[in-house]
Amino acid sequence: MIQVVTGMLARPIFRLPFLLPAMLCLVAGVLTGLARMGVHTTDFILERSVLHSTLMISGFFGTVIGLERAVASQRIWPYLAPLLSGLGGLALINAQTLFLAPVFFTTAATVFVLASVQVIVKQPALHTASLLVAALLWLTGNGLWLVDGNAWTAIPFGLSFLVLTIAGERLELTRFLPPRPGSRWLFVLITLFVIGATIRSGNTAFMQNTELGIAYAALALWLIIYDIARKTVRTPGITRFVAICLLSGYLWLLVGGLLSTDLWPLGAYQRDASIHAIALGFIFAMVIGHAPIIFPAVMRVAIPFSTIFYLPLALIQMGVALRLLAAVQSHTVLREVGGIINALAILSFFLCLVTQVLRGFKRHQH
Amino acid sequence: MKHSFTSHHETPTDVAEIMQLLKSVIDPEAGISIVDMGLIYEVALLDNGVYIKMTMTSAACPMGDLLMEEITHCLRQKFPAPQAIEIDISFDPPWTPAMMSESARTQFGW
Repeated sequence: MIQVVTGMLARPIFRLPFLLPAMLCLVAGVLTGLARMGVHTTDFILERSVLHSTLMISGFFGTVIGLERAVASQRIWPYLAPLLSGLGGLALINAQTLFLAPVFFTTAATVFVLASVQVIVKQPALHTASLLVAALLWLTGNGLWLVDGNAWTAIPFGLSFLVLTIAGERLELTRFLPPRPGSRWLFVLITLFVIGATIRSGNTAFMQNTELGIAYAALALWLIIYDIARKTVRTPGITRFVAICLLSGYLWLLVGGLLSTDLWPLGAYQRDASIHAIALGFIFAMVIGHAPIIFPAVMRVAIPFSTIFYLPLALIQMGVALRLLAAVQSHTVLREVGGIINALAILSFFLCLVTQVLRGFKRHQH
Repeated sequence: MKHSFTSHHETPTDVAEIMQLLKSVIDPEAGISIVDMGLIYEVALLDNGVYIKMTMTSAACPMGDLLMEEITHCLRQKFPAPQAIEIDISFDPPWTPAMMSESARTQFGW
């Protein structure tokens, strides 16, 4: 039986059901995000607008990263993580079952932590330990939400889960470069700072984020200085594209981190600008950069790289920059336009993916 | 471990030819081939095909199956079906930067 299931999950078509709830969460997340800014949507979306962050962090990113880790594990049980977080996302969308969402997300994160433990057993290293720490933060956030009933408690933990997952994966690749004195210790110190600042932010239901912002800014500087992207950006094609996504992402993480603090008070929309500089400028840019690599690995379809992938990346930059300008000028319409451009960026990204998958099929047939 | 090709009955030419074929498999993130990255641990000729032992730089990377598929595709030129192309992924020993080729190390500033 186990072999049959393993064989099934090795076939990408059976991985699709794990992705569908994630995609629904992404659509709902984008629409609720637009609704929050005042863009006219439907009552159904408007009623769920308060769930925007959770839909994106745990419903979409949590499920996609859970699936990625399950594929890497080549075992069956880690697939429970994306299954459960997908169900959590569906529980969010169906407001009647909202109370089930933290239960699903907490159990999903528990499985994800176990899958991350399996990774560290297979390869004991600082970068795999970082991935485990990131997973534990996701579990902690969801567990606290389950206990105290406040979804906002989970947001900084979810955000740090995503930020540290990316940082851990980048740390692994820094090994291609000659070792730099103190860089790994610095990484450990910054990670500890992120953990402490995340707990502090969680205690205030994501309202006091100065320490978290400084920690993210420090991590951004670390990544700018030590990541291989400054080398690989010289290699043409997809390698340069990934590097540009990374380097632009690090700059937005730096900006978003600094704006999350109360050191530089801007206008009315500072919070919107800071969170989305991190969530879109950094995290989603990583998705755009790595989808042409990871999506073929997970779904086993060829995605030939094309320069059209620069379009969604450019739209992400433009949208986030406009939201930053809107924060400086407290400009409602500018913020809305920035948000719409960001939504178009995500839409265009999936259109690029579909276009390239079809091109891949055609090439394969010839 | 630096490319140890303990094999059954291959000749140096076979190994060189197979390694040359494997150089067409590029890691998109690093922009260099899996051979230059030092991911190939062992190449051995079998009676009915070839055996490759390789590693990945991260156990959390989901690209294992895809890499094996690409390797199979590129080695089919030399080992057409029904010859076997057996690939094992191992984390023992773990990958270290010392396994990179000289050209890769130069490229990354070593």
